[in-house]
Amino acid sequence: MFRAEPLIELRLWILASEAQDVALLLARFGAFSPAPAAPDALPDVPGKAYAEVWDEARTRCAKLVELCGAPTADATPLAADVAPTLDDLVALNAWLKTVWSACLACHEGQAVIEQERARLAELEATLAKLEHLNVDLDSLLRPDGLLAADIGSLPAGSVKRVGEALTMTGFVIARFAQSGDQVFAVVAGPRPRHGEARGVLAQAGWRELSVPAALRTHPGAARAWLEEERRRLEARAGATCSRLDALRGEFAPRLEAARRQLALAQPLAEAARVARGKGGLAALVGWVPERDVAALRARLDARFPGRYAFDARRPSAGEARGVPTLVRDPPWLAPFRPLVEGYGTPRYGEFDPLLPFSLLYLLLFGAMFGDVGHGGALVLLAILLMPRIGRLAWIGVAAGLVSMLFGLLYGSVFGYEDILAPVWVSPLADPFRLLGIATGLGVGFLLLTLVINVGNQLLAGQFARALFDANGVAGIAFYLAVLALLGGMAGVVGQTWAVPAAAAVALAIIVAYKSVSGEGSPGERVLVAAIELLESAIGLFSNTLSFMRVAAFSFNHVALTMAIFTLASGLSAAAHGITLVLGNSVIVVLEGGVVAIQALRLVYYEGFARFFNADGKPFTPLRLAETI
Amino acid sequence: MASAYLDTRVSLYAHRLWDDATLDHLVDVSEAELVETLALRGLPQLIGGFRAADGATPDARSLEQRIVAQLLEETRVLMRPLGDGQRGFLTYWTARFEVNNLKTLLRGKLIGERPAALLASLTPMGGFARVDETALAHAEDLAELLRRLEASPYAAIVREARHAFEQTHDPFHLDAALDRGYYEGLGRRAEALEREAGAGFVTLMDRLFARINLVWLLRYRFNYGLPPAQVYYLLIASRYGLSGARLRDLVGREGIDAVLAALPAFWRTRLAGAHGIAEVFARMEQLAAAQARALLAPGKAAAFVRAFAYLILRERDLRAVRGILRGRHLGLPARAIRQAIERAPVGSH
Repeated sequence: MFRAEPLIELRLWILASEAQDVALLLARFGAFSPAPAAPDALPDVPGKAYAEVWDEARTRCAKLVELCGAPTADATPLAADVAPTLDDLVALNAWLKTVWSACLACHEGQAVIEQERARLAELEATLAKLEHLNVDLDSLLRPDGLLAADIGSLPAGSVKRVGEALTMTGFVIARFAQSGDQVFAVVAGPRPRHGEARGVLAQAGWRELSVPAALRTHPGAARAWLEEERRRLEARAGATCSRLDALRGEFAPRLEAARRQLALAQPLAEAARVARGKGGLAALVGWVPERDVAALRARLDARFPGRYAFDARRPSAGEARGVPTLVRDPPWLAPFRPLVEGYGTPRYGEFDPLLPFSLLYLLLFGAMFGDVGHGGALVLLAILLMPRIGRLAWIGVAAGLVSMLFGLLYGSVFGYEDILAPVWVSPLADPFRLLGIATGLGVGFLLLTLVINVGNQLLAGQFARALFDANGVAGIAFYLAVLALLGGMAGVVGQTWAVPAAAAVALAIIVAYKSVSGEGSPGERVLVAAIELLESAIGLFSNTLSFMRVAAFSFNHVALTMAIFTLASGLSAAAHGITLVLGNSVIVVLEGGVVAIQALRLVYYEGFARFFNADGKPFTPLRLAETI
Repeated sequence: MASAYLDTRVSLYAHRLWDDATLDHLVDVSEAELVETLALRGLPQLIGGFRAADGATPDARSLEQRIVAQLLEETRVLMRPLGDGQRGFLTYWTARFEVNNLKTLLRGKLIGERPAALLASLTPMGGFARVDETALAHAEDLAELLRRLEASPYAAIVREARHAFEQTHDPFHLDAALDRGYYEGLGRRAEALEREAGAGFVTLMDRLFARINLVWLLRYRFNYGLPPAQVYYLLIASRYGLSGARLRDLVGREGIDAVLAALPAFWRTRLAGAHGIAEVFARMEQLAAAQARALLAPGKAAAFVRAFAYLILRERDLRAVRGILRGRHLGLPARAIRQAIERAPVGSH
């Protein structure tokens, strides 16, 4: 429960011709996580082409499904199927390319039609404006005049720059309308330099407005012409849609088969990225849980008798960073895993903080939000939300129950403190005592995290770091010595010269260790050591004091309920009831949310940061998806 | 506190910069000494730059990728203590590499390159990535790629590039519109920071934009033979560097010498006698580097400006190292390598 599952590195030597069948067997086995193999004796990557073609085919298939909707899934299980060969995959990819290109053309056609629709709408508005212009358009746009003119649109952001560039060709630009980010303008200048001006306009994304000749002299005819254009466009749109529908009908049955084929090819495509080979031989390297190795060997023996070789070894402590992490959580603890993974995955061999994290999280939440009524409401809310948020709701249920437990200790039911006698103490009855207990909790928690860190470092073979680092034994000694010093000053414990001496020695050890183990020039290392030490020392004590918020939030809870009672007290009976219901709802949702985040923050930043590397790689075995 | 940290960090990083003599020495040293020097300078990842993943074929692309990865990593460290505006500026500064990736994708789609080959030729952006390059590489054709890009953070500059391409069907216009759009975005972000960053930052941006615009102007006008009005439109519209009126005057001049003679006095004296565009670039780049070096000295500018100056200089250095490694790998004579590292243009098509 406190460590990841022990893993074994397997190196499988197989025939390259059977690679897809081996990959399929491993995927069906479901406990082989592939890893890169060293290019020692086998320099080639035989599955590179397979993986590339699979990638292309899968992407095309996914885009087709996105565009056309998923076809009805075939209920036949994949267990009996065999994985496609490279040739099968190439043929499938070619078919998907043909279908996707046809669909894309239709899709692009629809996008163009949409743009045309928008342009017709713009043109209608533009022509309406042109009707009111006192300009003879026919003369202006005549192709044989001395003056060359164009009407069109361009992005609003380009107008100034285009205007400046056009002045260099003797042209001017006059804007007369704007629609969205497009500015409609007339560009005019000497005909001999028209080509030059058009070069600038092309670069600026100018779009010519093709004003039909008839409209130039009879702007009133615009509406009839526009209607005709729209009818033509709708006919084109209809044809495009029909073509797309026909394509869907044509390829849908085979698309489902294609998805199944790709699902069967996925294990080899994934394994092929890291497999090595030469000639007819291939090697697959990966991690398998120690307890599953015998079962895997049995399956391989049954399927490929005498046609494979098998090396197995345990990873050394120095290899921990490259080994994936497989954790098997008991069902009652599993809902809390996403909260730990929000911070990171434990490194292989590292202490898995799930259990202490979960217990501490609930303890902090309950202490900050202790109320029988509010806790009960939280339990109900979590149960109601269970269909939507799944097993995460169990965190809400557990938090609500702990909140009810603390409610009993505090004697609080929806803020009423006269219904139940506190089993322990009401927060505001003895605030200094609660603050002291919260700080003590912080000291205990930080010491626990430091001890866990020492254990992690020792297991990883980092003995110097375990002993001399700021988060190691030296750090613990420094922390305890300073606590004793403060305790002596406060008169809690006796004062002796040994305490400051111990703190100074621990400090010197930490600085020396950091100066020796750091990177860079000597000056840089000393500077970094000094800054890091300062940061660590400040961090230890600020993190300890940070736990005072546990008590502060319990005061806050009482104060908030008192505020609601005060608000409700001067109101009529109905308004009083409404205020209490609304106020308590706000407390459950808003304060509950804030406390949930504060508890998470305390565990993450005051705890995890001290010992949890969280840079592990999750164990991701080859698996056989039903469909991609 | 954050400013003090950044100042310290930049000062420590500044020791990584290469002086001209060390770089020059790198051209002639033995292979073993080269490897040792790179390792000592904190660049061991560049030693195997020309070795591909399978260790067999030479791979110039992987060297470029390692250089960019180094720059991105240093930018990430320097950005940590910065506020939103300054952090946004440096993030956008790194987007140049992603814009180059977009250009690679667009060109690849024009010639129907396979997604896997395209992806292998892109520079990994890590945490700085703003687009899903895998999805873009799997676009079926240029039209699909452009539509996907129009739904990305690059929508504004891509839309204009697409319009230009639809009108001209010339891939040059795609590249030109993307570059121009990118730098205009950079200029706008810089303007927003002027007050807090100070005069040194403005000078830095002035030198940068003047160099880019002048080099583009000369190249478009005299190498590609584009008409003046079109060249003017293709230049960056920004408050920095040469003014719009000056650029309009310059694009109308016939010949490189005439353009250089019409520059403001500051640039005219410094570029007098330059032979060709490459030399103009090299001299302007050296001036910009000198300015960046001056700002990098402790206490000469705000911490953010020092960080930006450092990144400019670091990129210049790493590209010079790349030039040396590539030149040595190709067996070029030392003289040719020295000439090349003085004149390697950065971030332009």
